Amino acid sequence: MIKFICAAVVASAVSSAAVADVTINGFASINAGATTGSNESLYGYDDKFELKNESLFAIQLQSDLGDKLSVTGQLLGRGADDFDVDFEWAFLSYELNDQTRVSAGRLRTPFFKYSDFLDVGYAYDWIRPPQSVYGLGFANIEGVSLYRTDQLGRMDSSLQFVLGNYDSTTSFSGTEIDAQIDSIVGATWELTQGSLSGRVAYLVGETTFDTAPVQLAPGVTLGGLFGTLEQVGLSALVADLAIQEDDSSFLGFGVTYDNGDWIIVSEITNIEVDNSFIAEQDSYYLSVGHRFGSFTPYISYEKDDNTAQVDAYSAYQSTLPAQLFVPVKGLVDSQAADNDTWNLGFRYDFHPSAAFKAQFTDQDNQLTGDRRSLISVGIDLVF
Amino acid sequence: MLNRILLLICLTVAWPAYADIAVIVHPSNTAAIDIDELNRLYTGRSSALTAVNLAEGMPIRSEFDEKGAGRASAQLKAYWSKLVFTGKGTPPAELANEAAMLEHVAANPDAIGYVDAASVNGSVKVILTLE
Repeated sequence: MIKFICAAVVASAVSSAAVADVTINGFASINAGATTGSNESLYGYDDKFELKNESLFAIQLQSDLGDKLSVTGQLLGRGADDFDVDFEWAFLSYELNDQTRVSAGRLRTPFFKYSDFLDVGYAYDWIRPPQSVYGLGFANIEGVSLYRTDQLGRMDSSLQFVLGNYDSTTSFSGTEIDAQIDSIVGATWELTQGSLSGRVAYLVGETTFDTAPVQLAPGVTLGGLFGTLEQVGLSALVADLAIQEDDSSFLGFGVTYDNGDWIIVSEITNIEVDNSFIAEQDSYYLSVGHRFGSFTPYISYEKDDNTAQVDAYSAYQSTLPAQLFVPVKGLVDSQAADNDTWNLGFRYDFHPSAAFKAQFTDQDNQLTGDRRSLISVGIDLVF
Repeated sequence: MLNRILLLICLTVAWPAYADIAVIVHPSNTAAIDIDELNRLYTGRSSALTAVNLAEGMPIRSEFDEKGAGRASAQLKAYWSKLVFTGKGTPPAELANEAAMLEHVAANPDAIGYVDAASVNGSVKVILTLE
């Protein structure tokens, strides 16, 4: 990694706090892909080969302000957003002691094992982390995090507490909507001993999605449906469906085995948004890879199982007129999903700072019988 | 001419490095370091001493990555990229050559470094030899 070290030479490691070191690091991914069949789309790709969708470029600046205070900013431009550059991370960090660090600002929400470096393709072997688990739609929070590392006998422990909120947009059924998750409180704990590590994450928050603009059918919006239900006195049903300050939880478990040759990773997650039409989401993946020098082939299986919240409407089956019941049932049922996904790919470290990757993905929708395949290739760099 | 060709060969061919690596500290340092602790120091999991590295591309660097830090160079780089881009750690500072390494370790009581065992001199103390 190239470092520009201003003012101070590293060789004089014990330097005065008055000089600020600014370290610049960067990473980039140039990914390309296409689905194998016409009219198929997956992860933003269609059957026309294109280079923009998953490509990104980022520069990180970290400045040590002395007295254990540092500031970090990561400017990232995604091809999917026309490479418009945005602060993906921007936080102040204060080292309470060697083991404990408090950070405040825009941070990555520690949902998953790979959350912290989702964008840094160089850090993992896949082209993209398994989307059945990682395809959550929002990655960052504004808040405070406490990160603590300990050595427990021969085990390394890292514990993180996070407090904050998310206030931005998310993509919902193809529509970009305002999304808010307030009062996020969470903890993650990772234990590592030798080749084996285990992780648990639990976060709660209050979710509000402004789903009114979401189209149910041509000319019928979700806002329109909720308005009609309220007019006929069914505010209680609207409250059970709308995503309005609803208690939400995320639970995730992860296990990794990495002995230098074999790398086996699995994560299981459960997501619930109470009193809303959002399905309960159970997902997991298992990935097995083997390193042969600089060549690492892998195979992975993903499962995405979303259970529709039929309880939200079942009590209204006999009382609600069909013209209202049908769209309500349709809305809730449409949240169900059952996808099996297989990935086969490899990473090739062809350069000390760059890796070439290729991945074939085959996704089988068990509910509709639809099947789609994607071929993607890419180069990940760190500098 | 022949000399030049030989020199060129020496510079371009990756020289197989089977050298013993001496892990060195300041002469006043009385710490006992085993290979596990060395791994921890060079992966940022311990900060008992301040680890320094030889620059990438130096002959014994990749050998040290494997033996001292416990991972192949590319894996180690991927590992550090996880820490760097999350603000959780910074890889050991890099020094240009063995002379700079010896000088740095001799001058800093909390430093730990490494050189080819054949390059060790009296200004530093060897606490571990990696074969």
